[in-house]
Amino acid sequence: MKELVPDHQGMILVLMFIVGNTLVFPLGGLAGPDIWLAFLTATVLALPIILAMARVRSLMQGSTFFVGFERVLGKWPSRILAFLYGGFAWRLACYVVSDVSNFIQTVALPTTPPVVIATFLALLMLWAAKEGVEVLARFAVMVGKVVLAVLAIIFVLLLSQVDLGEFQPVLYNGFKPVLRGAFQILDFPFLETVVLFWVFDCFGRRVSPYKVFLPGFLAASLVLLIMASTSLAVVGADRYALYYYPVWTAVGRINVSTFLTRLEAIVGVTFAIGSFVKMAVALLAASRCFAYAFGFSDYRFVVTPLAMGVIAGSRWFITTVLEVDQSAVETHSPDEIMFQVVIPLVVWAFAELKAKNGKANGSSQAGGGEEV
Amino acid sequence: MFVLVILVYGAVAALELWLWAERPWKKVLIYLLLTAAAAALASLIVVYGKLPVPEPIGFLGKLFKQWWQGGGKQ
Repeated sequence: MKELVPDHQGMILVLMFIVGNTLVFPLGGLAGPDIWLAFLTATVLALPIILAMARVRSLMQGSTFFVGFERVLGKWPSRILAFLYGGFAWRLACYVVSDVSNFIQTVALPTTPPVVIATFLALLMLWAAKEGVEVLARFAVMVGKVVLAVLAIIFVLLLSQVDLGEFQPVLYNGFKPVLRGAFQILDFPFLETVVLFWVFDCFGRRVSPYKVFLPGFLAASLVLLIMASTSLAVVGADRYALYYYPVWTAVGRINVSTFLTRLEAIVGVTFAIGSFVKMAVALLAASRCFAYAFGFSDYRFVVTPLAMGVIAGSRWFITTVLEVDQSAVETHSPDEIMFQVVIPLVVWAFAELKAKNGKANGSSQAGGGEEV
Repeated sequence: MFVLVILVYGAVAALELWLWAERPWKKVLIYLLLTAAAAALASLIVVYGKLPVPEPIGFLGKLFKQWWQGGGKQ
């Protein structure tokens, strides 16, 4: 059965996936006061990959994802890639669950073992992934409005604490810290968007992938740029990189006439909602990829074992809040470069060649003059 | 604890398989394989605590670090 997501719902799903669990971390901390430049650089650097993904999906118009993918790459290469990306998406789900469970343990439930929180999160995402991408997209639209409204209110309230002098001097240490900050942001969360490539089953029109991926990515980039820059302007450039959760700290400073204070809990709720969407999408992608790699069109039967694996995996890749912080701010590791940059570009090149050959064959069969 | 983890994973798998309307053997096999892998990972973590994470192309990272070392210093 085809799972069709309308463009605007898909766009919000992309937005929520990227904003997801990233909001509270010191994104681009290596850039220091030039964080805004790092965000802009990362956005520009990520755009070719996002466009390449959208282009590949656009070339598959009319067919479900895996049928189209097989047409582009052939049966076995696409199954091997699906298996690899299944592992990548599953690992991402483990990371997100670990992020959330450690966050909750740090700020709210210090004596609760993270594995208990991870178990509840795994149950939730199992449920969401079994419902499929259509339900997830509708859920993203519903909660997206709440999340964006909360972030807008927090931004307005933070303005009273902002010190714009924190952004100066511009490029004092040259462009290198900006690039390092940009690579941090590219790694987490911008290029994690490659996981979404495997989630959408089919699109309504040929331009739909562009309308889903591009505005969703740009909107998420803008939201994160605003929130990260505002937090940096509140806590200071040096402390921004040092704190585990700088946005949490910044929002904690909001004080409206001693009446409206301690609003950081709202950020916690926003973080939890966004993380839930992200972990469910990652589990869904992993399930779809593994099911296809093993030769099944229905993916729902593998969701439970993968979710149970996430409970263990969340204690395997990351165990402490320090490791959570390191994973959020580290720059590209080779496997991430492979999955987030190299393979998408190679797939895009193959898809273009295939489309070109298909077009040439089509026109020669039609007598050489007609465009098919 | 090790036995408990195996029992819990086994119980969840048994319950879900019992709830399936049909049980094609290929799906059951894949399901059991994945559940066994998840249970094995969970029990290994229970027994050993910290497990090394495999890095299939980690050698490339080391190579990059060697190239990068001191490259950015002024």
